Amino acid sequence: MTKVVIVPCSGIGKSYGTVAREGAYVVTEDLRPGTTQLIPLSLLVLGDEQARADVASAQAITIDGCKLACATKMVAESGGTVAHDLAVLDVYRRHRDLKPAGIAELNEGGQQLAQALAEEVVTLVDELTGEVKHA
Amino acid sequence: MPDLPKKKVGIVACSGEEMAEGTVTRLAALRVLEQLRPNETVTICLPLFLAGGEGDRAFARFYPTIALDGCDKRCAARGTEMYSGKPAASIVVTEVIQTNHLGTARRLSDAGKQAVDVVADQVAQQVDELLGVTWDRRQGQASEEIQPAEGLEAKIATCSCGSGIPIQKVQVDGQEVTFIALPLIFEQFRDAGKLPGDGTAAELIETVKVYNPIPNGQQAAYAQAVMREYAAFCQEEN
Repeated sequence: MTKVVIVPCSGIGKSYGTVAREGAYVVTEDLRPGTTQLIPLSLLVLGDEQARADVASAQAITIDGCKLACATKMVAESGGTVAHDLAVLDVYRRHRDLKPAGIAELNEGGQQLAQALAEEVVTLVDELTGEVKHA
Repeated sequence: MPDLPKKKVGIVACSGEEMAEGTVTRLAALRVLEQLRPNETVTICLPLFLAGGEGDRAFARFYPTIALDGCDKRCAARGTEMYSGKPAASIVVTEVIQTNHLGTARRLSDAGKQAVDVVADQVAQQVDELLGVTWDRRQGQASEEIQPAEGLEAKIATCSCGSGIPIQKVQVDGQEVTFIALPLIFEQFRDAGKLPGDGTAAELIETVKVYNPIPNGQQAAYAQAVMREYAAFCQEEN
């Protein structure tokens, strides 16, 4: 089965970028390791053939840390299909109590926001893969 | 001279999400930006070279840049050179750190954290060396003249996300030309009371030339276009 590609922002200047990165790890390592694959944005910037092929042959969920939406733009630029594009800021608006701080190391709020983000991503992954989780 | 970030070093980290070495680049870059050389460094997210505007792509031409890569694919160095300008220096973590036990991309081990220290120190050292070199923004490379690293701006280092270097597109002899830093130059001239028609043309075009190459034989056309835009700028502001 083709995995859903997860492409997070690699933003280095804001906490939201770190939340995007951490949320992607939660999805690809903890919650849906079997059905998702993380693609580094830097490889897409370089035009790495394997990364482009991976993106082009699968549905992608992008996670952006700011309005410039680098992840979404890069996937589109690389010939991929963006099935869903999430913005960390939107997730934060839904979880105002989880204010992220820190870039190298997220605060507790940031880590919880990453978890909330990951859970939203997982719902979308399951829709794409046809999996329905019953409680 | 406009109050632009004249003497800072740009750091571009690959931040590769799939390997521990990528995390080392990210954390080492942050260590330099936030702790080791906060007043002398700026950064930009690598994808902005493609996803951002022309101002973002001017980054490595404007700043002498250190590319910080996790592996020999050298995404940061090659991406910077492809889309912006050749980095002044390049550091690859796997060439600096001789261990495979850095932890994971998500969680660095103690050895990984030590690697961050080592790489950050090396970047800081490289920053110091580059600050002793005059950067030619017209050529996007170091010039041969060496200057002491004095009189540096003392501004807090920030990420360039969304800011980049301000640019303006101008019609010169019927062709669209992108000028780096033009909006800031205009602003500074206007704030200094140097208005169009006050004999500012020569000084203005000389300042513009610091950041923008003017092809041989086109000085007059460029000057005319710049002065036209400056007059429009001043009129809009009134």
